[in-house]
Amino acid sequence: MTCLRVYRLLLPLAVTIMVVGVRCSHSASSRAQIYAQILAPAKPASRVRITKGPELESVKDNDAIITWTSNNPGGSDQHFGVVHYGTDPNHLSETAKSPIRLNQNHSYTVFRVRLNGLKPQTTYYYTVDSMQGNGKSDGVKSTVAHFTNP
Amino acid sequence: MKQSRSLTLGAGCAVIASAMSITTHMVCGQMDAASTAVYNPYSKGILPSDLSSEMARVLREIDFIEAEAMRQWKALPPPTLTGNPPILQNTGVASVEILGKLMNFDKNISPFKNQACASCHMPYVAFSGPIPSVNLTMIAYPGSVHFRAGKRTAQRYTYAAYFPPLQYDAVQGLFFGGNFWDSRATGYLLRSPDAEQSQFPPVDPDEMGNPDTACVTYKLSLATYRPLFEEVWGKGSFDINWPAHTAQICATPIGATSLGGSATPVALSPADRTRSNQVYDHWAQSLNAYEHSEMVSPFTSKFDAYLKGNYTLTADEMAGYKLFRGKGNCNSCHLDGRSTAPLPSAPDSEDTGTTANVTPLFTCFGSANEGLPKNPRVAVYYEATPDSFGFTVNPEGFAYTDYGLGTFLRSGFGSAPNPNSTWRKFASSVDGQMQVSTARNSGLAPPQCPATEAPGPYFQKEFFHNGYIKSLKQLVHFYNTRDVYRFAVESGHCPAGTVEKVTCWPEPEVPQNLDMTTGKLGLTDQEENQIVAFLQTLSDGYTTPYPDIDTFTGACMSGGNASTQGNSTIISATSIHH
Repeated sequence: MTCLRVYRLLLPLAVTIMVVGVRCSHSASSRAQIYAQILAPAKPASRVRITKGPELESVKDNDAIITWTSNNPGGSDQHFGVVHYGTDPNHLSETAKSPIRLNQNHSYTVFRVRLNGLKPQTTYYYTVDSMQGNGKSDGVKSTVAHFTNP
Repeated sequence: MKQSRSLTLGAGCAVIASAMSITTHMVCGQMDAASTAVYNPYSKGILPSDLSSEMARVLREIDFIEAEAMRQWKALPPPTLTGNPPILQNTGVASVEILGKLMNFDKNISPFKNQACASCHMPYVAFSGPIPSVNLTMIAYPGSVHFRAGKRTAQRYTYAAYFPPLQYDAVQGLFFGGNFWDSRATGYLLRSPDAEQSQFPPVDPDEMGNPDTACVTYKLSLATYRPLFEEVWGKGSFDINWPAHTAQICATPIGATSLGGSATPVALSPADRTRSNQVYDHWAQSLNAYEHSEMVSPFTSKFDAYLKGNYTLTADEMAGYKLFRGKGNCNSCHLDGRSTAPLPSAPDSEDTGTTANVTPLFTCFGSANEGLPKNPRVAVYYEATPDSFGFTVNPEGFAYTDYGLGTFLRSGFGSAPNPNSTWRKFASSVDGQMQVSTARNSGLAPPQCPATEAPGPYFQKEFFHNGYIKSLKQLVHFYNTRDVYRFAVESGHCPAGTVEKVTCWPEPEVPQNLDMTTGKLGLTDQEENQIVAFLQTLSDGYTTPYPDIDTFTGACMSGGNASTQGNSTIISATSIHH
């Protein structure tokens, strides 16, 4: 199927010259095939190891960000960084989780988790983990670390 | 063939008087709403001073393109309906695409014949918002009732037709698909969210504001292109017994107290209502055909040429592409079609994948909460009082919070009914999430102001759902430093010594479910610029001129820099609370 395509050249004073005559296709048939881009999850890694951190990225008033890097855990693209924290290192009663999107092209994954509602001038202890979109843990192990709010 | 644009545009109407002073409003020789007072609940500076002249300018451009579409229709060969099932041999595709174009640029569909779909979606900005001053001030575009307006930016049409029906993927733990920022056009019936999207604005009180979907059918029955509609969708499509007062009802905006709150004030028999609904579906499918066509979504960017080996990315564009895929991590959501090697099971292996044989769409079809601050300029916050029709757009005023997909799953205020009860339980996990737009055509601008970035000459766009971001540089900087320069303040209240959007990001409007893939990417200033350079390679029109890109007759902007572009329009949120 062909159609009439019109090209115009803008001129000053809002005058338009219309040049008519190029035949073109309206059909989508000439295009490259478009594939749906809902990716299947990557195969889960046999073991997820932290390669950097966890550490305090920043802390302000009543919130903080904890970050760490692991090998790409695979599994669902929707992932959560999880921080278990509290003021008693033997009783990490609070949990914060933040969503991230895995990049299946990358060999590593940076997790960052926001902790909100913190008290000032208070020391918090924490460990980290990560999990798939359905809540299944990646089985990450980390030692108890701590930071103190300003 | 030569044609004076000024003559063509002069055939339209003129709206004279500034937005701040008019009390009545003439549109194309008709009084709108019987000379009712203009609805202006806004604080000073929310409505741009050139609003009326700019809306008139866009209407002239719309009429110009509508006339072009009429010529394209008339140039079609005679139809041949043949085969079983019957098909318009040779002309079917072009016919339905041109029909969609005719609909898209038809201002007569609106109650006051003053707004087409294109009023908020013009081709020279990839079918997004066409008025630079609106993009700087009130964010959402005025509807047929002047000046009702909504709460979000006008999304680009380009490649919207490729989004699948909304679905929850239990394995990925994510929603995919749908149309609109909150995905409320699910595609659950027509199986095309893009088609169903086009059924919302004609009856949205903040947009066209028809009181009944049957009014669209009625107006299509009066359209000059009705023969093309019947050619495509069948003779007899409009065999409906219209009640005596249909014209009057359909010239009354939705929400008018005179309509008594009915969603179907046009009293049709069940059979006629069914017929009208069929026409409304065909309205949707025709617009979908147009938006899917090469007239809107043509894959003609530099990047498409690069994938085919017909364009060499410049050093900055290539650096930006690598950053987009690497340090910037942009392609975790804006998928670029590359292979997924290496697999996590072999994380240290070399990425031996080549560009996959696809035409990447630069979206994952998902949703995310990127933590945009509340933008106190959004028109909807001010619309807490009734207009002259007795309709109040937003009774919540500034207390309104935009939870995006979460609100939709709850069938909440400002969204639409959720057609799937099994999705409801996910609402709190998606609060604040908005659709991941394709990165394609984020930088597309008209030829006389070919960039979106100061100092220009540039076309002032707005980005994200609430238009808080005004340039691609700011967009990349936001992703890069949102958590580096975060402050527990609202927009307009950054601490002394900081510059909002440069060294200060106000707190997110919705803190729940904040996407932490972004926020601290570690990009340098130069690397941010390189990603912007790459994004600009995604603008259509490199291999073939983008259709109707040269129809912009407004003014470009110039001066300043992209980092602080639009900062002079930042206003204090606190002032609005009062």
